[in-house]
Amino acid sequence: MLLVSFLLLTVQTRGGGTGRAGELVAIVLTPVQSLLVRVHRGALGFWANYLDWKAVRRENATLRGENEQLRVQTLQAGETREENTRLRRLLVLRDRLPLATVAGEVIGREAGGWVRSLTVNRGRGDGIAQQTPVIMPDGLVGRVVQVHRSAAVIQLLNDPASTVGAVVQRTRTAGLVEGDAGGAVRFKFMARDGASVAPGDLVVTSGLGTLFPKGLPVGRVVKIEDKGSALFHFAVLAPAVDFSRVEEVLLVTGQTTQDVAALFPSDG
Amino acid sequence: MALRLLLLLVTVGGGVLQSTVVAARGVGGVTPDVPLILTVLIALRYGPESGCLAGFVAGLLQDATGGGLVGVQALTKGLAGFGMGLLVGRFWVTNPLVQVPGLVLLSVAEGLGRFLLLQMFHYPAAFGELMLHVILPQALYNGLIGTLCILAEAGYELMRRRTWQ
Repeated sequence: MLLVSFLLLTVQTRGGGTGRAGELVAIVLTPVQSLLVRVHRGALGFWANYLDWKAVRRENATLRGENEQLRVQTLQAGETREENTRLRRLLVLRDRLPLATVAGEVIGREAGGWVRSLTVNRGRGDGIAQQTPVIMPDGLVGRVVQVHRSAAVIQLLNDPASTVGAVVQRTRTAGLVEGDAGGAVRFKFMARDGASVAPGDLVVTSGLGTLFPKGLPVGRVVKIEDKGSALFHFAVLAPAVDFSRVEEVLLVTGQTTQDVAALFPSDG
Repeated sequence: MALRLLLLLVTVGGGVLQSTVVAARGVGGVTPDVPLILTVLIALRYGPESGCLAGFVAGLLQDATGGGLVGVQALTKGLAGFGMGLLVGRFWVTNPLVQVPGLVLLSVAEGLGRFLLLQMFHYPAAFGELMLHVILPQALYNGLIGTLCILAEAGYELMRRRTWQ
């Protein structure tokens, strides 16, 4: 280095001027300078990109969180809206019915097939007794078979041990609605003569026996099973109520002799 | 004592799960019998006495909350737990290839036992319908859930061994 310095100084003092030396240095240094500037700019750009990326990542995480929160809120709002609709329908029915009723919420289910039941949060303390009919705006759900202090077990219409006296609304053909192990609901013991029951007919409670009010929708006839020579034939029903979706019910604590069929929606 | 309490908690938890979450998540109207699966798993691990106790408590809880005759499932599930516990050591029941079919067969046997018991109380459902729509589908579903439980248990054991090493 010393040697190079002296050489440069000598060249200049001997009248070579600064031009050549400067040019020589420039030849060597210019590419290095250019490279350094590029590296510097690149580093600065990289740092700026890194900062941007960090900010975007943070913003993304925040937005994701907000999005998640909004989705949960939307779901909650939807759930509340549906619950509101269900409760409103229940309230409308409750106001229309000429019967004393107690609203209950489903807190448990038994759907294994041996027994089909619901447990509601109303019991002896709310005036519920055994055999209390249970309804919802679509129709009959079942009856209370066990009562505890603050809960009651409801036997669903499609329970294998359930039996309800019913009539076909249009023809007034009488029979019994029974559940089976497969979860279907059947309208049995219809007299063959003059029954003329057809698919689509609405089956309602008969009101005989004073347990169930008259006219509660039970289900619609899906098909008729005719055994030919038998005295009776039976119909398979589509229940008026979707038992897997029951969440709130009305427990009928009062009695009436009035036909309540007109108080339920016609598609029930 | 602590173990018994833990088993009791698991059993009661299984019963609550059965009447809430599981009942609402059936496939084609068929639901697995979670308390029976838990009873079998407990019996396989802790022997006949614990299996019997777990089965009895689980069954009693199901009877009480389901609206059926109280005591029927307590008896059949208690016997199932005891029977499964007795098989441990006599047969090769620690192998998952035996456990899963064993659970399916035990579910069918428990169903048949329950049906026979209920016949004494004039249970109205026909045997064929019950077998076709309830007992067999539920036994297969139990086998599926049991397989998942056994796989989960095996995975947990593997992870625990690796952590120890």
